[in-house]
Amino acid sequence: MNRNDVLVMLAVLVMTLGASAGTISGKVSGVTGESVVYVDAIRGKTFPAPAEHPVMDQKGLMFQPHVMVVQVGTTVDFLNSDKVAHNTFWPSFQQGAKRGPGKNLGTWPQGEKRPFKFDQPGVAPLLCNVHAEMSGYIVVVPTPYYAITDKNGDYKIENVPDGQYNIVGWHEGGKKQTKQVAVAGGAKADLTLSK
Amino acid sequence: MSKLWVVLLSSIIFACGAVQSASAIPAFARQYGTSCSTCHVDFPKLNDFGKAFKDAGFKFPKNDEDFIKVPPVMLGAAAQKDVWPHSIFPGTIPGLPPIGLRFNTFFQVYGKNRNNFTAGTTGTVIPPTDFQPGLFSIFMAGNFGSGIAFWVDDDISVGGSGAAGGLGDGYLKFHNIGRLFKLPNDSLNLRVGQFEIDLPFSPARSWNLSGWDIYDEANLGALNGMSPQNVSNAFAFSTPGQGVEISGGHTYRGYHYSLAVLNQNTSGSTADGANVSPVVGIFSDSNFKDIYGRFQYRFNLERDPASRNEIQAAGAIGPRDHTYLQLGTFYFYGRSVQRFQGETAVLTAREPFYRTGGDFSFNYRTFNLFGLYMYGHDKNLLVNADGTGFFSGAPAHFSGGFLEADYLALPWLMTIMRYDRVQSTADFLNGQAGTPQNFFSPAGATRNRITPGVQFLIHANIKASFEYQIRPQQRMFDADGNPITSPFRTNQAVAGLEWVY
Repeated sequence: MNRNDVLVMLAVLVMTLGASAGTISGKVSGVTGESVVYVDAIRGKTFPAPAEHPVMDQKGLMFQPHVMVVQVGTTVDFLNSDKVAHNTFWPSFQQGAKRGPGKNLGTWPQGEKRPFKFDQPGVAPLLCNVHAEMSGYIVVVPTPYYAITDKNGDYKIENVPDGQYNIVGWHEGGKKQTKQVAVAGGAKADLTLSK
Repeated sequence: MSKLWVVLLSSIIFACGAVQSASAIPAFARQYGTSCSTCHVDFPKLNDFGKAFKDAGFKFPKNDEDFIKVPPVMLGAAAQKDVWPHSIFPGTIPGLPPIGLRFNTFFQVYGKNRNNFTAGTTGTVIPPTDFQPGLFSIFMAGNFGSGIAFWVDDDISVGGSGAAGGLGDGYLKFHNIGRLFKLPNDSLNLRVGQFEIDLPFSPARSWNLSGWDIYDEANLGALNGMSPQNVSNAFAFSTPGQGVEISGGHTYRGYHYSLAVLNQNTSGSTADGANVSPVVGIFSDSNFKDIYGRFQYRFNLERDPASRNEIQAAGAIGPRDHTYLQLGTFYFYGRSVQRFQGETAVLTAREPFYRTGGDFSFNYRTFNLFGLYMYGHDKNLLVNADGTGFFSGAPAHFSGGFLEADYLALPWLMTIMRYDRVQSTADFLNGQAGTPQNFFSPAGATRNRITPGVQFLIHANIKASFEYQIRPQQRMFDADGNPITSPFRTNQAVAGLEWVY
């Protein structure tokens, strides 16, 4: 077996594995606006932290995006794009019913970024202590399988390997909902959230 | 003392019990989609950003257009500037009517000796407790583009009567017109209309339930048929002036100055600015223009130069107001007018007067200590024996001021301790010759007041306030220095509820 044969076999294997990954789709109802749906922690499985640093911007007196989902281990860059001073803090880090300690990142001038690594799953409700109306959320999830709903509440999580999972629906100010899903090339799961 | 506790408890219960869903925001908050607390410490007290917003002509100091959530209506395309003067210079009006509304209401408790006004007489009968509707006012402000700011506020009703309202400030302010003459940025502005003069601490936008006494001090002599005539100048600093003002600099750092030319005002009322016929009486007229000037310098005390020069200081956990020391001085020169029947004609006395003083404000984080001292002097022209002219009598003068400490214990809780003092020889003259003119300035030499207070922000736009006004014994003397009335002293507890939307 030469080297080319090995490469071909590997490619076939990868394609086969790819074929066994599916899409979880569905609709989140009961709330309006963006919701987050993600696959909860999978026993015995860990995922490498993404190298990419998503940017949470402060622009026009708003956190943009309003809701950001990142995988555990991700470093988020907090940017100030405004010509006014901003601050970013979260009073607590919500991990289910438990509330972990908050964090105040301080203040920095326009155009500069301040990185922060989220190494636990949970939700950081972002606030600015200068502009009381500003709010944002960083939802830290344990797997790379997540989606944010569109304005109709529809979502689609792609490339989920076949298997049994718990999916979780989260909405700002709402109660989380968990649902079991069996993925075999694809699955549908609707969630109804409430505040 | 028990009543004090009742009021205290009532205001706290009111503050807690009144919490309900409300997202009321006045004109600027609506326009920018931001909270009142962006500009106010404890409304209407401004934080550093609010001062910069005001200095910039009711705009964000930098990149204002990036923050406006309701786009303005263009009154001409921006490119019309290029064809001016062959077109109207383009401006804007706010996309929403820039209207804010304000209402307040009070509950007052007076001390037991509230009716001991003067010995042997009964003054105004003052009830021990009193619910008082305050004022309902409308205010509109914004920017028309090209650095032209506007402000109009009007009390629609006062004290629930609906009859005593009136225009507060109404002006246009042309910001940074110095750029037309290549002067440094923000060094020259022009304001035209009716406005509160540029006082170090604005009584019109004071956060206290009761005003600073010195700003209401008028040099009033006896109103006793004009003979003998005494100083009767009802002008007080709290009265808006009508005229023009140039100003420059910033109120959040460095220098700030203003110089105003205003209608003469003897009556203390802004409604009496017009010329009047030469009839006997005490009038305002417009034949003389008063002059007011102010200069202040604010030293921002942060060590880091970048932070020091920013609008807000860069604190460890977020921007905050600077630690600063501000020093200022002011001077007002005017002439009060009295006309009375002389031997052959109506004689007009224009009595020169001036007010001058200094002020300071020191801020450390959430603690602010500030004060003001003022000296007032009125020349006293008396009719000569044959009724053909005047000679100078003893001038009327007063002095005094206030010292106040504000501590923002929590972002929604401010404690206040304040001391007011007014020493007046006009009160002295008054005490000799006539009836005291108003309840809070009886005949007497010196009035002292100590006023502790506390204010709660229920929401950023709803405030419950409480203050207890302690008036120590007041001493009054006749011309020989003998006490002439019994000591007058009344304490007053006031609880107020105010909201803007």
